[in-house]
Amino acid sequence: MQEFLQYFFSGITNGAIYAIIALGFTMLFNTTGLINFAQGEFVMMGALSLISLWKGLHVPLAFAFVISVAGVSLVGMILERLAIRSVRKPHPIVLVIITIGASIFFRGLAMIAWGKDSHSAPAFSRNTPLEVAGATLLPQSLWILGIVLLIVIGLQFFYKRTLTGKAMQACAINKRAAWILGIPSERMVLLAFALSAGMGSIGGILIAPITMSSYDMGTMLCLKGFCAAMLGGLGSSWGAIFGGLLLGILEAMGVGFFSSGLKDAIAFLLLLLILYVRPSGLLGVRAVHRF
Amino acid sequence: MNAQESSIDVRQPLLEVEALSKSFGGIQALYDISFQVLPATIHAVIGPNGAGKTTLFNMITGIYSPDEGRILYRDKEIQGKKVHELVSRGIARTFQNVELFGSMSVIENVLVGRHVRMRCGFWGAMVRWPGVKREEAEARERAMELLRFVGLEGAAADRSLDLPFGWQRFLEIARAMAAQPSLLLLDEPASGLNAVETQQLGELLEEIRRRGVTLLLVEHDMTLTMGISDHILVLHQGKRLAEGTPREIQANEAVISAYLGKD
Amino acid sequence: MRIFLFALAVLIIGLGVSNPYHLQLLTFIGIHTLLALGLNMLMGYAGQISLGHAAFYGLGAYTTGILTTHWSCSPWLALVAVLLLTTLVAFLVALPMLKLSGFYLGMGTLGFGMIAFILFRGWTGMTGGDSGLVGIPALTVGPVSVGSGKMYYALVWAVVLLCFTICERIVNSRVGRALRAIHDSEHAAAAMGIDTARIKIWVFVLSALFAAVAGFLYAHLVSFISPNTFDFMVSIRIVTMVVIGGMASIWGAILGASLLTLLPEWLRVFSDYEMIVYGLVLMMVMIFLPQGLMRGILDLYERSRIKYRRPSTPSRG
Repeated sequence: MQEFLQYFFSGITNGAIYAIIALGFTMLFNTTGLINFAQGEFVMMGALSLISLWKGLHVPLAFAFVISVAGVSLVGMILERLAIRSVRKPHPIVLVIITIGASIFFRGLAMIAWGKDSHSAPAFSRNTPLEVAGATLLPQSLWILGIVLLIVIGLQFFYKRTLTGKAMQACAINKRAAWILGIPSERMVLLAFALSAGMGSIGGILIAPITMSSYDMGTMLCLKGFCAAMLGGLGSSWGAIFGGLLLGILEAMGVGFFSSGLKDAIAFLLLLLILYVRPSGLLGVRAVHRF
Repeated sequence: MNAQESSIDVRQPLLEVEALSKSFGGIQALYDISFQVLPATIHAVIGPNGAGKTTLFNMITGIYSPDEGRILYRDKEIQGKKVHELVSRGIARTFQNVELFGSMSVIENVLVGRHVRMRCGFWGAMVRWPGVKREEAEARERAMELLRFVGLEGAAADRSLDLPFGWQRFLEIARAMAAQPSLLLLDEPASGLNAVETQQLGELLEEIRRRGVTLLLVEHDMTLTMGISDHILVLHQGKRLAEGTPREIQANEAVISAYLGKD
Repeated sequence: MRIFLFALAVLIIGLGVSNPYHLQLLTFIGIHTLLALGLNMLMGYAGQISLGHAAFYGLGAYTTGILTTHWSCSPWLALVAVLLLTTLVAFLVALPMLKLSGFYLGMGTLGFGMIAFILFRGWTGMTGGDSGLVGIPALTVGPVSVGSGKMYYALVWAVVLLCFTICERIVNSRVGRALRAIHDSEHAAAAMGIDTARIKIWVFVLSALFAAVAGFLYAHLVSFISPNTFDFMVSIRIVTMVVIGGMASIWGAILGASLLTLLPEWLRVFSDYEMIVYGLVLMMVMIFLPQGLMRGILDLYERSRIKYRRPSTPSRG
């Protein structure tokens, strides 16, 4: 039981990170129909810029947080403007490959900027482990869960209460109808890119203290974040969160009870399972509340 | 180009639609539509935008399944069958927004239309036994015949998207005819054509009917529709508003107020 | 016929080049061309995406590697096993996968590719894990060793030419037209009576077979294989070859394969910048020349000719 709880804790911690990456995917997919393979690189850039600003330049954590997020969001917008907007023939394959090219490009830049080494970040606060029912819980986990929860609530508010948020949802549901109603879909797309990049970077910032960050950390996270989004149901924000948490927990259980070699395989096996059995995801488009 | 050589009793309907209904997420696109199409006739479906015409087409051609009702083709139920299965049975179609195969030439487009009347598969293609070569040559001949029929034989080697729009529509018709259909569905074939081309289209469609092919078309151009149709079905907001010969429809009060009057 | 001329060129180059390093490079170009050719049929002609093709490359390599080292099987017998196993696996993967489209398909193939990679690394008993598989025997045709040098170059390029011919024949046939139709407009293709699902599956299997044969040839050339040669980045590299060379162009496959085999050689000086250049090239080709370099070159050529051609006049109007 104690073991189970331990795995559960580490599972939801990682799961929260997957969830926020998945949210980024879902948000972008909803507004543009695009899967951004560079999403993982946004995570990486968030993590590494936090480390540089906070640990390297001793910028206060809160500022470093905000600057990193803003910076990566900007990168996301630049990507949209330069690479995505200029495409004359938006065939899905073309867009996929552009985002793949972007991800390789960002990785190359990061390698120059931060080298091939791994960097670590200190925890956000005093990181003495807490004892909960016999299992240890790191305060950093609480930070992660707390911030992700805040973001989820914030997004809910954004979608339901603000005009821009509703406009984005409208675009997601029916681009043409939204356009007819006067909603500038181009700006919505830009916003979607900025937001999803921002969320990715937050994921990176949150994960920096509990893992080693390097220029190539993005790939696996991207893939797993995508698996999480698919698991919950691409297009459903609740699905992204649910999928992320579920993936994190299953991974932790798999590693704990079976073997650590299984860790990465779990995400992809689940992905294939979902694609084969229920491509709309566990919560899918059939979810009563999309968000 | 003649319709398939099977016994067609001209009094038996080729296509029968019974109590067809379809809704999309709460919006009733079609409600309780029934009608019959007799062989070797031109049957038109008209109505304002949103009347459900394209939905009707898409159900007959297998893109959607009806919520209720049946579609009978040669007395066999076809509703819910897969799109590609219907073509070998003799149902072909054109699209509202011309859907040519842009990467291929004019004649290659027609050859794709001929797909169901040919047999060569992967092995045949790789090995190229004599039967395959013969089949290919014969298909090309037939394709050229069809291009001649619609007047495009000079453009056979051109890229399909290089054709002026009007000619693209004619190409689509040639392509659909390549499958030797008994029933040809045309989705707004005159849309985007000028007066001269519309006239030519009318002659073409009448010639197709003369060859025994049954035509079902959705159209907005009233001159064309009234001119060539044997029978017209008027839809309005998903329901059947009126049915009859062109003269009857033109005289129908309900139709005039709902649709024609605004013309 | 162009293929004949090309075969001639291959022959002349093969006879002319004597530097063993250059010869091996050219042989690698041949192997990579096979990979690109197969994927080209899937992506360029059928318009489907596969981000996990390195899995089949690895499947071919490891199958023959395991059979020839663990069970001293004859390589040619192993080849038969490679073909059969790949057909089975590709079929099983394609069956549910090709019901998906666009991104879903890309991700599904990616997932499959990752699992295969994890398997190559994880099944250490069979594959040797990260340490790889050693001692893969060289190929012999009867008493004659074709294991390396000019003989292997000839073997690889003979296979390439064979596959070239196969592709060319398929493209210009009823099946090829059906493929291209699916690429241009899948639902219009269905409306022509094309069973899109079936054709997509078979093209997938075909492209997998090409990749597996490439893996077979690779394994017997280098005699040592490790999982790194079959990871996600390699799948991306194959995609890049197809994309840059030009999808829907068989010759584009050679162009792409050549460029991407030689590029790392040229960029060796700037090894740090390789990724940046690579990513930029990928993006720019897709933005400006989405049809690839081959098409871009051909378009330039055709555009210069059009000034001298009278537009054809149909008999109407």
